[in-house]
Amino acid sequence: MSETTPTPDDRGAAGAGAAGAPGAAEADRPHTGHGFGRLLVAVYGLLALAATGRSILQITEYFDRAPVPFLLSAVAALIYLVATIGLARGDRTSVRLATVALSIELVGVLVVGTWSVVDKAAFPEKTVWSHFGAGYGYVPLLLPIVGLWWIRRTARATAATDAASTRR
Amino acid sequence: MLQPLTVVLLAGCAVLGLLAAHHLLRRRLVDDPLILVGAGLELALLVQLVVGLAKSGAIADGAERATFIAYLFTVLLVVPASVVIAVKEKTQWAMAVVLGGALVVAILVARLQQVWSLNV
Repeated sequence: MSETTPTPDDRGAAGAGAAGAPGAAEADRPHTGHGFGRLLVAVYGLLALAATGRSILQITEYFDRAPVPFLLSAVAALIYLVATIGLARGDRTSVRLATVALSIELVGVLVVGTWSVVDKAAFPEKTVWSHFGAGYGYVPLLLPIVGLWWIRRTARATAATDAASTRR
Repeated sequence: MLQPLTVVLLAGCAVLGLLAAHHLLRRRLVDDPLILVGAGLELALLVQLVVGLAKSGAIADGAERATFIAYLFTVLLVVPASVVIAVKEKTQWAMAVVLGGALVVAILVARLQQVWSLNV
């Protein structure tokens, strides 16, 4: 977009120096939707899209074939949507909401994954969570773990930043 | 569906992915070449949409045809979305998002080809 080749500012170095200016401090505050968080939001957005698309298709085209997995697909889609928006917004309430969504997601993928392995007849069709998300390269299993780690890391970084600014 | 088009699309994904990887290693952000390659790939995906829609009648099964058409439209969202996210990010993660986007487009294009070949 710009004429010159932009280079990423070194956040680690800039963070300590810019803390005095309110605008700069705001930009440097740890945020669940910045840095690595952008990739996380992008992946969550993609899964939300994939799960929504799949559930709409499954429910409209062949719901009778396997109602339970198809409804689970719809629930997963909703959870991915909440997680995407929560992580992208990054304020206190949104992050709390995202934490809940990710926790449900982790439990969901573990329960449905185990269920689909034990009782193969209940899952004749693929869903996002069956077989621990094998159809999606196990991304649905890894994502909530990475997401919860990221939220925790951001919360800790925020606490550290706040402690540093009050001491000043 | 249309072998040459699929090859062009996968090559486009590879160019975008390599450029993003290069920028990532050189600590560069979104610049004109990246936007141009992204736009070129998007244009090719639009061609795929038109060709795909025109030929979609060849898929007999209704649900499979719906899947095929849904993929044709969905794949259009990936490049613009990843570039928009990348423009806002001022660290190396910007290029990680573009790299991921290129990979996803390649997967979706391959999946489209798979749905087509299984049903025609």
